[in-house]
Amino acid sequence: MKMSGNAAARDNQTPHSKVISLPISRVKLIMKSSPDVCFINQDALFLTTKATELFVQNLALSSFNNGSGKGTNTLSYSDLANIAEETETFHFLTDILPKKILARDYLKSMEQMQEEDDDL
Amino acid sequence: MDGDSTTTDASQLGITGEYMASSHYVLQSQDDDGEESLNDHEDGGIKENFREQDIYLPIANVARIMKSAVPQTGKIAKDAKECVQECVSEFISFITSEASERCHQEKRKTINGEDILFAMSTLGFDMYVEPLKLYLQKFREAMKGEKGMPGVSVGESLGEELADDTFRIITADGQQQNVMVYTTSYQQIPAVQQIQFS
Repeated sequence: MKMSGNAAARDNQTPHSKVISLPISRVKLIMKSSPDVCFINQDALFLTTKATELFVQNLALSSFNNGSGKGTNTLSYSDLANIAEETETFHFLTDILPKKILARDYLKSMEQMQEEDDDL
Repeated sequence: MDGDSTTTDASQLGITGEYMASSHYVLQSQDDDGEESLNDHEDGGIKENFREQDIYLPIANVARIMKSAVPQTGKIAKDAKECVQECVSEFISFITSEASERCHQEKRKTINGEDILFAMSTLGFDMYVEPLKLYLQKFREAMKGEKGMPGVSVGESLGEELADDTFRIITADGQQQNVMVYTTSYQQIPAVQQIQFS
């Protein structure tokens, strides 16, 4: 019951690439939460759902490859944040993928700001 | 914990792990009122509060697709999965609003397949367009075998029998259980059932 995006062949046992593995009704809900959306036809719903699958694969693989140079073999949040910044197609994600800093660095910079205020 | 609102104790700031977002200064801080009631605790609230703008696809489905894309031996961090879950909603909204805008300009009320494909190619996803057209073609061919519009029926349909020539996408998008059954059957291919629990 594994999902293989590669097997496009019409295999008797496993037509995986034909099956949508994301809940269409949930996709529809997300689409409807966009302002001004009235009706969505069946094709549009199917295409969006399928495209979302492709997007996930694309994002995951690009991020993984981008980060694998560090030899961790693990896809991490920072790989995602980096790819959003570096790849134009994923620029729209930069707002929701802020680069993270260590808590202590943040607190240090807050303290410095405080000191500067005190000096004024 | 004292009533002072400043603290450098990471655990009191509700920071799990060592990282937090920077430029937006997002801190999941605990209530700083003198009287802190456990019921009002906001720790981890972002994922718990179901706001309309925070609708996500189930993480199990998302994680499964991610796994199918990375090499077999690769691993995926938990926060990466959660993050992609959010990116997915962002992606869907991104495409939808572009498609919707085009509809509006042309004074139409229904977003159709062409709008979606056009939006993708406008927004830099034109590499998806050709494969998607093929998938759509297969989807339509399969639907021709069905009398009338199969539509999407919502409900529990685990034990349901399906004829070989029928094509149906059945989603039982329940509540917390989120049991989903996806079944497709093309003419030469017997029905395949995928049951996903998330």
